[in-house]
Amino acid sequence: MNYLSVRNTRLAFVAFIAVFLSACATTLAPNYDKAIVDGLVSVNQKMMEHFASTSSGASKSDYDKREKTYNCIIGSIDALAIQAKARPIPKNKITEKVNEYLRSRGVEVLEGEDAPSATALEKISETITKMRETDKKQGVTAFEVKAFKGQAVIYLDQAMTYESFLER
Amino acid sequence: MTTPIGTAQLIKDMKDAATGILNKDVTTLRGFSERQITAIAQQSELVALGIASGQITEETREFFLDSIEDMALNFAKTLRGLLMVTIEKVWNALVGVTKSGATSAALQSHHFWWPVSLDVMRRRLS
Repeated sequence: MNYLSVRNTRLAFVAFIAVFLSACATTLAPNYDKAIVDGLVSVNQKMMEHFASTSSGASKSDYDKREKTYNCIIGSIDALAIQAKARPIPKNKITEKVNEYLRSRGVEVLEGEDAPSATALEKISETITKMRETDKKQGVTAFEVKAFKGQAVIYLDQAMTYESFLER
Repeated sequence: MTTPIGTAQLIKDMKDAATGILNKDVTTLRGFSERQITAIAQQSELVALGIASGQITEETREFFLDSIEDMALNFAKTLRGLLMVTIEKVWNALVGVTKSGATSAALQSHHFWWPVSLDVMRRRLS
């Protein structure tokens, strides 16, 4: 009987080590969401089609023809931003330690902030909204379309890279 | 006397696990950084040219100028977010290697093997 109880103690010890080390695993970033990545791919295509159709500039006289496209793109981006913001950024001791170190170095911390992809999506929405307002008011020059596109692409790269990277 | 846990092997496994992740992720991070820095620089140049030539109108001038700073800031935040994911992956890989090393060492040091244990139990109970 002693032999069995020693074996049980050993089994409990091995199980304790396994459970203890499993508990050390951590999560420092939001979960991957395939729906957001798929949404980004879809909205990217819509935006590029719109930029292509206005690449020579656009006159305010035919703004009405483009209004629906603007609204569709802005709506899709806003929906994705909400989805991205809905995931909380995990908080744990490691994040707190990193933030303490960053603060001691005078660096702004991520605490309480949204995921960078959510911020990027909000900025894309602002960019397309500004393009829509300008188009409605006075039309947009080819150069302005190029600048709006450049800005949207930079933010889209940030959002897509971050969201894809979350798949781990 | 040899230690039940192969320290040298464990260190090698931990290094391999961390290196594998870092090599892959650093390539992604470097590619992203280079793309972003180049694109933000080109965007700044484009806005400057557009303002100078008047092709960027009064209506959008301030918007584009303010946006360059915002883009650079969110680039830095994205990079930091990506680094957090890499830290998480490395940490969890190291924990995984340590866990597997410690568990196998504990099993080996006690000559613990399930079929033997079950056989012993069966004999004791009969």
